[in-house]
Formats: sequence, structure tokens, C-alpha cells
Amino acid sequence: MLDNGRISSIQLSMLLFMTEAPTAILFPPSIIAEQAGPDAWISVLVPISLYGFIVALICIALARRYPKQVFTEYLPDIVGWLPGKLLALVYTLVFIHIASFILAECSLFIRTAFLRETPSLPVVMIILIAVVYGVFLGIEVIARHNELVFPLFILSMFLLIVLVANNIDLNNLRPVLAKGFIPVLSGSYQTAIFRGEIFILLMLFPYLNQKTEAHKSVMTVMIMMMIFATTIIFVTIGVFGPLVTSQLTFPYYSLARYISLAKILEQMELYLVIFWMAGIIVKLAIFLHSACIAAASTFNFRNYRMTIIPIAIISTVVCEALYSTNYLNFINFFKNIWPLYGLSFELIVPGIVLLVAIIRRKGLTSSAQTKS
Amino acid sequence: MFEWLFRGMKKSLKNTRTKNPAAYGSRSQTESRETSSELDQNNTVLKEIFDHCDVLVVHEFSLGNIDSIRSMLVYLGPLVDQDMLQKNLMGSLLNVNEVPKNNISDWLISRIIPSGEARKENIWERIANDIAAGMVALFINGENFVILLPVMEDLKRQISQPVTETTARGSQSAFNEDIRTNIALLQKRLPTTRLALKNFKIGELSKTEISMIYLKGYVKQELLEEIEERLNRIKIDGIPESGYLEEFIQDNPWSVFSAIDSTERPDRLAGHILEGHVGLLINNTPFALILPMTLVSQIQSPEDYSNRYWFSSFIRLLRWGALLFSALLPSFYISVISYHQELIPLPLLLSIAVSRERIPFPGFLEALIMELTFEILREAGVRIPKSFGQTISIVGAIVIGQAAVMAGLVSPIMVIVVALTAIASYTIPSSSLANSVRILRFPFMIAAAFMGLFGMIVGVSIISYHLCSLRSFGVPYLSPLAPLSYGDLKDTLIRAPAWKMNLRPRLVGGLEPQRQHKNLKPGPSDNRTKIIQRRIRGK
Repeated sequence: MLDNGRISSIQLSMLLFMTEAPTAILFPPSIIAEQAGPDAWISVLVPISLYGFIVALICIALARRYPKQVFTEYLPDIVGWLPGKLLALVYTLVFIHIASFILAECSLFIRTAFLRETPSLPVVMIILIAVVYGVFLGIEVIARHNELVFPLFILSMFLLIVLVANNIDLNNLRPVLAKGFIPVLSGSYQTAIFRGEIFILLMLFPYLNQKTEAHKSVMTVMIMMMIFATTIIFVTIGVFGPLVTSQLTFPYYSLARYISLAKILEQMELYLVIFWMAGIIVKLAIFLHSACIAAASTFNFRNYRMTIIPIAIISTVVCEALYSTNYLNFINFFKNIWPLYGLSFELIVPGIVLLVAIIRRKGLTSSAQTKS
Repeated sequence: MFEWLFRGMKKSLKNTRTKNPAAYGSRSQTESRETSSELDQNNTVLKEIFDHCDVLVVHEFSLGNIDSIRSMLVYLGPLVDQDMLQKNLMGSLLNVNEVPKNNISDWLISRIIPSGEARKENIWERIANDIAAGMVALFINGENFVILLPVMEDLKRQISQPVTETTARGSQSAFNEDIRTNIALLQKRLPTTRLALKNFKIGELSKTEISMIYLKGYVKQELLEEIEERLNRIKIDGIPESGYLEEFIQDNPWSVFSAIDSTERPDRLAGHILEGHVGLLINNTPFALILPMTLVSQIQSPEDYSNRYWFSSFIRLLRWGALLFSALLPSFYISVISYHQELIPLPLLLSIAVSRERIPFPGFLEALIMELTFEILREAGVRIPKSFGQTISIVGAIVIGQAAVMAGLVSPIMVIVVALTAIASYTIPSSSLANSVRILRFPFMIAAAFMGLFGMIVGVSIISYHLCSLRSFGVPYLSPLAPLSYGDLKDTLIRAPAWKMNLRPRLVGGLEPQRQHKNLKPGPSDNRTKIIQRRIRGK
């Protein structure tokens, strides 16, 4: 194993929550609202969560066959050396791509919330300083850092919901299921991929110190995400109505701006965004760490740390060239390519690999897993 | 990837390091010899060893009234208690009438010399070292051995009040420079045979005595071995102070934060030893080291446990807030002034704008000037002789506060920010943590000047990552918080009632987890409640 850190099941839960939550509240609410209208919360509650559970179950089943290796390490063992290595390389690129994509989201959001006249590149570079440092220190440190960030993140979200709660108009959420299930499903299709980011579990599983608790901790995360995302979209649509929500770029930010309590607690959005920022730094660190581990294991490096800087530079370049300077490209990718792209790498490829592993009897069988 | 680049560098570094291994404490050839039985020969060797030492006293006398033997007492004049030497030692030596033919030194130790710590020695090196340390050497003609006995002058001051760690309620005694006094202070608080004391001597020339103190069975064996190994690894000429030792045994040599804490309070050290920490007492300094140390422990003050827990919890929370304040307030001010004016309520914004109208500097420069000025003032306050103390307060208050505002150099609100920051940093009980935070304030200010709140978050994240990566002798520096252990949270952000804290911190005192009995919550005992219930029923 390239990173000999050890994380507990609670730390894993918190990490996985942080890989999902910060971006799940950024763009998806408006996209879902556009498709599903007032039923957006049903879309988040049922189909998206279902997708998340399926991805999580497949990933756990696959990861438990190789409890001491990350996904890219055991791929060659399952599907053969050459295809395995190629697939591992593809996954490395996918992680880099997702990292650069998150960077673009982050940079866009920061330039909306904090620094309206700053170009994207310095923002991306400065955020990467923190992220690269975290990745350099290893997964154990990221997990511990996240233990500090997680409660603050939850607290900030709780505050947000409580402070805008008096503005919720339940009429915005009616009629329920007026057009049947089709809009609900089409809304979930475009954004389920965010929930499926839990597939990063494939790269985090070997660090877990008690493998038997994997199911419990991952299911906890999925249930937490289900509650969390549903609440956020419920509140957003309750406050703004489906039409306005679908037009907003950052519904979460608009929601935070909406806070006004007795004319004293105004301009709260920056304080809340601070904790979102802390969360996204953790999320980026997890993806960048996975990208580095994937690259190092694909090319058989002994130390993953030497891949950090090159990968950070690559993701900066990808982010700058493709997304952060070209908002249309970004949105296009989001709405049209990302769903299929994500679906294939989160669900289909791991699913096929799992099938192959079962058929070829690779890795630990289920009886051996319970023993270990 | 770049290993080839460093390889050459490492080699050249190694060469320079190993060139002269014994340079820090060279010794001459003569000292490893043994003493001879001839008194005159010994005398010449002595003269040779203590060549440049004019305070060496060689007192020749004859031992025994019948068949007297030539003898001499050798000591360093200033170090020896003359009174005791003349009255006790010389008195009993000169009263000897008859001397046995052989084994004079054994006979003297067992029958004549009024000291339990006298011993025989025949290696010149050790004898010379002991004389240099203040012992008296007794040479006897015809004897191979020299008797060494301690008649040292008591050069210690009274036990006084702690200077840097004051508390309103609690023990008022502090360690002083004498290690024996310090050990006694500790032993008085923990009079148990489980209190283990292990002595080291570090420093080729200073031979500083260091005592490792812990409770037997409460500290993991690996931790003790690790500490011993790190202490024994130190090869140095002298240890001037505990801070010097600290840097040699630290886990994170490059970090701003010190994962070892120092204290001058015996009660604080005793409390930590009870939790399963290890204390290091160092001779000639009133500051003892505590290890392993966590950030949370550095926020705790001994007073927290003597005050009521509601109040202590409130103070704890206040202190955590002050910690954040002293690190982040100036940078927050800079980012609000330069980037996020919308965060300030409108009336306040107007008054700030008016007061800043005349200021020629941007927010960052203004803050930097004031912070640096304050640091200079604080440093001067430490150095300045006490009789000039008034001067500095006048200069600080009037010149730098009032006049700078009047002259239009800084805005009044900046003075408030700096003052608040300064006061906040004094609430942190551990001075090493306070100093780390004091330094970190400047990078945060720079980050805020470049990127506003965003820069601050990135900075805080970096520091948080760094803190999470720190370890102190195997214990994570942020330990009950990250990694989280729920049971230990009772004594972190708040302080739980004493009868609730039944267990020791898991990572430090895990070997003997139970600190006290369960169900110690005061209240009517079971027996009494039964009686009361019976009475009620009877009525």
C-alpha cells in the first residue's frame, strides 16, 4: 500500500460525507428543479438515493475482495495485466479530471462569493496550496482534519436551514407529483452522479482499520446524505419556488443571502461560505489523493508523493483550459456529458469488474471476507 | 524522482558532520589513569588536572594521634560548606586516635565519616569530576582509594510564587533552580512508591542532571524507552535551559508548534503525571517539561479544576475563542476592510470610513505597523528593568495609542483590534502555544491582504492540516479532537464535573484507565435514602 495511514470507520464516514456534500448542494438543486419542478425533493429522496446505495454496495463488494489494496492496484489482477493497467490509467485520468472539475466549481463559486474581480488562476493555485499540503501529509491527516471540519460544516448547514426556515412557503412545494414520476426521474438522471461520487470508496477502503464496519459506515453516510440533500432542496424550493430555483446559479448561496433575522443577522452568507470552503478543500484533497495514489500504483512508483505536484499542475491546466474560463463549456459538460460519464465510471465499470471478479474467482471470497 | 539531486548534497553534509566527533568535550589523557598510593604522586597529578583552578584547596593534615598517617582533603573552596566541613568532617577526622593497619578507607567510611553518601573511587576522571561538582576528596597516604563525600554549600533560593503561570486559586508554590527541591515538591504531592524517578546526566561539560518522573505502570514501556533513547542520543557540551533540551527531543523539529510543554508549577506537573504523562525535571532551571503534550492540554489551566465546573467551562470556551481571536482577528480586520465591506453593518461602516479617511496606508500596512509596534512594546516590556516599567506603559498608552491616532498614522479601530488581539493572547495558559500563535498572526495577515477571507480559510486549512499531522511522542497533537475520542471530550472545550471524569485520557493514560470510582456524584448515600424513604412511608 502506498499510503500507510489508518482511518477509523467514523473517520471514513466523515470523509465520504465530505466527498459528497459540498458539491451536492452547489449546482444540482437548480438542475433538478428545472426538470422536476416542485417534486425535486422526491427526486433527491428516492431515485438519487437509490442510485447512491447501488453504487455504494457494488463498491463495498468489490473492495472487500481486496482489503489491502486500492482499486487501481487490483484491477490488473482481475481483468488481466494490460487491460487492467489501461483501466487503471483511465481511472487515474478520471480522478484528475474530477479534481479539476471540482476546482472549476470551486473557483467559480469563490469568484461569485468572495473575490469578484480576481481571475480564476490565482484562486485555483492558492486553493491547491492547501490541498497539496494535505495530500502530501497523507490520508490519515486528511481524515483528522476532516474531523474538525465536519462538525463545523454540519453546524453551518443547520444554521442556514434554521435561519431561513421562516421563509419557507409550503405552497411552493405543491402540487405533489402532478406530472407523475417521469419528471422526477429525468431530474435525478442529471444529478445522481453527484451522489455516486461515493465510488471514491474504492480508493479509500484499504485504509479502514476495521473492515467489518465498512457496510455500517457507508450506509450511515448514504442515509445522512439522503437526509441532508433532501432537506437542502426542500428548503431551497420552499423558499424560492421551483421556477426561481431553476434559474439560480448557486441556490445554496442565494439561500444564504436570504437570511435576514430582525435586521441584525444580515450578510450571513460569507460566514456560511467559509465552512463550505473548508469542506471543499477536504473534498479536493480526497480526490487529488486518490488521483496520486492511482497514478503511483499504475506506474509502480514506490512513493506516491512525487506524483502530487505534477498532478496538481495537470489539474490546474485542465481546469483553466476547459472550464473556468468558459462557463458555457462547463454547463454543457455538466448537463450533457457528466451524467453518462459519471454513470460509466461510477457504476458500470466497477459493476463489470465485480462481475468478472466473481466469475474468475479473484480476490477473497465472501466466506474469507467474514473471517478477515 | 529527484533523489539523484539530493544524493550528492547528503554525502557532502555527512562528511562535514563526522569530521570531528569529540570536539564538544575533549578530555586529556591523564584523567583515565588510576590513583596511586603515594600521596605526593597524587598531589602532582592533582596540580596537573586543576592547572588553571586557583580556588582548589589542598588541606594536608595527619590522621590519627598515634602512628599518624599523612592525608589531605581536596575541594573547591567556593562550592563547599565551610561550616560543615570544619565542624563535622574535620572534627571527626582529627579526633581519631588509632588507625588500623589496612583498609583505612573502609574503616573511615563505616566508623568515622558522618555522611551516608561517602564512597570510594580510584579513577582520576571521576574524582576530578566530583571535585569539580563540589565534593570533598580525602586522600590518604598508602591507600589506593580516595574517599569522596558531599559537603556542598546549599545554593538554592526559597520556594517562591510562580511568575509566569499565576492562578488566583490553587497552590502558590513554584519550582526553583535546584532539582532536589523540585523533586521534593513533586514527591510531596505524590508520596507513593509508584512514582518512578530516573536520572540522566546530559552535557559533556555541564553534566546537567535530568530526572524523568512518571508513575510506574501508568506509562507505556515503549514511550519510556523512546524518551530514554532520545535523551541518551544527545551529545552536547551543555544544556543551559529546558527549552534547549526540548528542541533535541521533539518529534516535529521544523514545526512552529511545540508539542512539549513546560511548566513551573509543581501542581500542574503532578496533575499531568497522574494522567499518565512523563515529566522531565532539569537542574538549574525552574521549568520542567511535560510530555507527551497535546494542544488541548495547553489550553487547560490548573485553576480550571479548582473553580466550579460551570465557570471553568465558560472560561475554557472563552479561552478557545481567545486563541482564535489572537491568531485571526487582525487578518479578519484586514480582509473585511479591504475585501468584504458588506460584512460590516452600515452605521459602523460609515464611522470606520470616516476614521480611515485620513489614514495614508492600506489596511494591511496599517495593521502590520501596529502589530509590529505592539510586538516591540511587549518585548521591551519583558527586557526593561522594573524601575522603568512606568515609562513603557506611558509610552505605550499615550505615544503609540493616542498620539498615533491623532497624528493620522492609524485609525482608532485598528488600535482596538491590536489591543484585543494582544489581550486575547495572554489568556492562553501555555506560553509556548501563545508564542506560536503570535507568530502565525503575520502569515494570516499576509494571506488576508492577498485574498481576503478566502486567503484566510486557505491559511487556516493549511495550519489545521499541519496541526493534525503533528505528534508528540506517538500521541496526536490534537488528540481528543482529531482523532476523535468521545470519552475524552469531557475535558477539552468544556470541563465536566470532577465526578464525571472517571477515566484517564485514552491515548496517554490508557494502561490504567480508571481514575476514580464510578458514581462519585455527591448526594445522599443509598443507605440514607432508604432511611428517608422509610420515614416518609411511616408518616
